[in-house]
Amino acid sequence: MIRDTLAARAPAAVFAAIGPGRQADAERLFARRDMRRASTPRDASVLLVAGDIPAEASEALARVHDQIPPPRATVQWQGEDPDRIAARVAEALKDLRGTGTGEADRLPDEPPNEWKGIGPHGQGGKGMMGGTPYGRPMAMTGPDIRDGLQLDRYTARIGPFAPMLPPGLTLEVTLQGDVICDVSIDSPPFAQPADADAPDLCLARVLRLLGLDRAADRVLGGKRPGALWVRGAIPRGLGRIDGTDIRGRVAAWRKGEAAPLGPFDLPQLLTGAEWSEAMLILASLPPSALIRAARATEAA
Amino acid sequence: MVTLAVILGWTGLAVVFAVALAPSAKASAPQAMPFLGGGSVETHAWQRFHFRPYTMSLLFIAFEMEMMFMYPWAVVFVSEGIKALAEMGMFLAILSVGILYGWREGIFRWQ
Repeated sequence: MIRDTLAARAPAAVFAAIGPGRQADAERLFARRDMRRASTPRDASVLLVAGDIPAEASEALARVHDQIPPPRATVQWQGEDPDRIAARVAEALKDLRGTGTGEADRLPDEPPNEWKGIGPHGQGGKGMMGGTPYGRPMAMTGPDIRDGLQLDRYTARIGPFAPMLPPGLTLEVTLQGDVICDVSIDSPPFAQPADADAPDLCLARVLRLLGLDRAADRVLGGKRPGALWVRGAIPRGLGRIDGTDIRGRVAAWRKGEAAPLGPFDLPQLLTGAEWSEAMLILASLPPSALIRAARATEAA
Repeated sequence: MVTLAVILGWTGLAVVFAVALAPSAKASAPQAMPFLGGGSVETHAWQRFHFRPYTMSLLFIAFEMEMMFMYPWAVVFVSEGIKALAEMGMFLAILSVGILYGWREGIFRWQ
C-alpha cells in the first residue's frame, strides 16, 4: 500500500553518470519536480547514463553501477526528449518495485587486492602503523601544511562521476583531515558544448552545492534568487582569479552575464583549501574554463 | 532464580532482535568500497587526524568546572570564612594548570 502511494509520489532518486556533451541537458533534467539527483549511489535505485561514456571511464561506470544497492536499473539517455527520459525512469522504478529483481553486478565480488599483513586485522607493521591490509598501505604521517603538525595523508582518486566534480574530471587528491595538501589531474573533464556555460546553469550548480536545491530549480525555471541568500552562503575572497572571487562570479551570473575569468592553474587553486571550499571553487568555474585549465595542466 | 530468568530472557530477546534485524545480504566488494564517484583509493581508510577543537574544549571545561563549584561555594563562603577561601584557592590553582597547558598548546592563538 505505502509502496504504491507514498513512494511512487516521491521524486525519483537517480544517480547520473554524465558523458561528453550531455552536462547541460542532464542538469536541466534534474530541475524537474519528478526527478532528484542522488548525491551517492546508495541513495539511488536508477543509474542514468547520459551520452556515450568513453572506454577509459567504463570501469568507473561499472563500479558506480555496482554501488547502487540492488534492485537497480540502468537508463540510457542518447539525446531523447526529457519527458521521455523521465517516463522511462518512472517505468524502471515501477518495474523494480513490482518484480524486485534488478541488474546483476558488473564487477566481480572480490576485493581489489589480496589480504596481506599480520595481526588479527591484517594491520601488519608495529602498533597501529604500517602494513598493507587488502593491498592498500596504511596512511602515513607528513607535516600538515597549515601548522606543521604530523598528520596522516590519505590519497584517493575521485571522479569521473562524482556529482560535486564536473563530469569526467578525475582528481588524485591527498588529504590531511579535510585539507587538500596535494592535487593532480588524472583525466580532464569530458568536452561540453558552450551551452553548459549558460549563466543560469552555472549559478544553479553553485546553489545546489550550497544545498539550496529549490533555489537552483527556480533559477533554471528563469527566476532570480535573492542576492542576500546567495552572497551570505559564500565565504568572501574564496577562489579568487584575476581579482574576482566566487561572490563576484555568482553576482555576474545572477545578472545573466558571463563571469570574467582569465587563465588559472587548477591544482594551485585547490591546494591548501578545505574540501568544502575546494568543491565550491570547482562549482564556481564554468565547464569550458575547467576543461581548458585541466588540459593545460596535463600538457605541462 | 527469577533474576537469572530475567537476564537470560532479555539476552535471548536481544539475540533474536539482532538476528531478525541483520541485513539480509552482505555488501559486495564494490559496495564495501568508499564512494569516490567511480574512483579508487590508494591508502587504507584507517587514519589519524588532529581533532582541532580539543584544545578549545579543554579551556571550556576548565572554566565550566570553576563556575560549577563557585556557585555552592559562594553560598557558604560567609559562614566558613578563610577556610573556604583557601580551599577555593587550591581548586583554582589546580584548574589553572590546565589553562596554562592549553596556553602552551596555542589555545589563545586565533587562526
